Amino acid sequence: MVIRIIKDWIRRSNKLERIWLLAKIEFKLRYYENRLGLLWALIKPISDIFIYYIAFQVILKQGIPNFVSFLFIGLILWNFFIECTSGTVQILSTKKYLYEYTNMNKIEIYLSTILANCIGFSFNLFFFIIYYQFVDKGTLGLSWTALYFIPIFLNIVLIALAFSIILSNIYVLAKDITQIWIVVTGIGFWVSPIVFRLDNFRAALPGADHINPIAGIIINSRNVLLYQKPPEWNLFIFDVIYAVILILIGAFLLNKVGSRASEKL
Amino acid sequence: MSAENNFAIVARNISKTFQITEDSHNTVKHRLFNLFNPPRAKKIPALKNMSLDVMKGESIGLIGRNGSGKSTLTKLLAGVYKTDTGSIDINGSTMLMNLGVGMSHELTARENIYVSGSVLGLKIKEIDAIFDEIVDFAELRDFIDTKIKFFSSGMVARLGFSIAVNAGADIMFLDEIFAVGDMKFQEKAVQVFESSWIKGKTVVLVSHTMDIIQKYCKRSAYLKKGELVYFGDTNKAVELYLKDNE
Repeated sequence: MVIRIIKDWIRRSNKLERIWLLAKIEFKLRYYENRLGLLWALIKPISDIFIYYIAFQVILKQGIPNFVSFLFIGLILWNFFIECTSGTVQILSTKKYLYEYTNMNKIEIYLSTILANCIGFSFNLFFFIIYYQFVDKGTLGLSWTALYFIPIFLNIVLIALAFSIILSNIYVLAKDITQIWIVVTGIGFWVSPIVFRLDNFRAALPGADHINPIAGIIINSRNVLLYQKPPEWNLFIFDVIYAVILILIGAFLLNKVGSRASEKL
Repeated sequence: MSAENNFAIVARNISKTFQITEDSHNTVKHRLFNLFNPPRAKKIPALKNMSLDVMKGESIGLIGRNGSGKSTLTKLLAGVYKTDTGSIDINGSTMLMNLGVGMSHELTARENIYVSGSVLGLKIKEIDAIFDEIVDFAELRDFIDTKIKFFSSGMVARLGFSIAVNAGADIMFLDEIFAVGDMKFQEKAVQVFESSWIKGKTVVLVSHTMDIIQKYCKRSAYLKKGELVYFGDTNKAVELYLKDNE
């Protein structure tokens, strides 16, 4: 019964098509408008890996095995989160043309932008897998535990979506949230275990892996992709709870503030 | 249930007040520094308590002097603005049109056609089918893959109008639309308006030209200073409006 209703809705409504169309255009605008195209999506993590490799492996000698793979997966997840949040703070203003003339649901604007970022992420993930599996020497290789990455990634998508909604709605009321969020994410990068050894990170900042939802996601992604281990379940559950709470806050704000965006922006 | 389904829009006890603050309290810094000094807000009642409904397939007129609340009412009925009180049931997709539809200047004409068509509720296949009509009607065949930021304002208006004409939403709000383009384009616009919109679509027409309102609308709403003075027979509404203008 439920499946029939959903099927019927999908067949009659053009919502899914519309989200996909908007996502494709968003993706094209981001990557094909510059000369380097999709290569640009890869140059960013590669240049970051280069810098952090010099700093943390060559100079500080952290001694993390397969440090490039370790950094690669951490950085592409972090960059995905940043693109979904910092990149969408002004979305209600830049995409105003979509909702100021019609009764289109604003959530579709968010979903299409997140979807565009997911396409970009999938390219990064593809190159990570190629590097980890075939180039990096002395790794364990992928195992069936890698399948856990699907729910972990869905988790970060939900958290990113929620932050995107929350921040863009705060932007309606306070424009300098853009600058404030840059500071918050700047700090967030260094209180996430992206470039540090996990045991050092946990010893220096006890509890940070539970307070910072992205930290848990990075730790669990490495467990399932690099170390053939299942996720740390308490971290996983924590992050799911974060996602649910943040989505609820986002929905509340979208209903309270977002619904008046066309008057205020 | 079937009686309810005959309505395109049912608005009950709706009202709208705008708050205009004199100081710019739109940053976190300002808000923190002025926690105990809230901004002086001026309340402007744009629409006072009113109820009205629009039947499916009907064409109604909205008349009133400048500042009477016509634009606010169309935005509320289209679901673009949120009402402060009461409720509005909208049955279908809506489109608010004054000199074109919403388009992104970063996108090409082709992309804008697909995005706008999709936002108006069409499937990709349906847009494919009317794509050529839209392009030819807008007379923009040679610029189809050009970003519209390079278009002249006339070209943008023609494209917007053409998308609206050919795609159209279930409920169309037309705010002084007969001012688009040159004489030749206007003639075409009126022709299409008469042949496709008046038949089959629900139309809310806003105009200061009484001839247009009287020609296309059986029922009209007359607004004055945010109040719905009269809603019913168009001739009576026009009479009231003209009397007010004397």
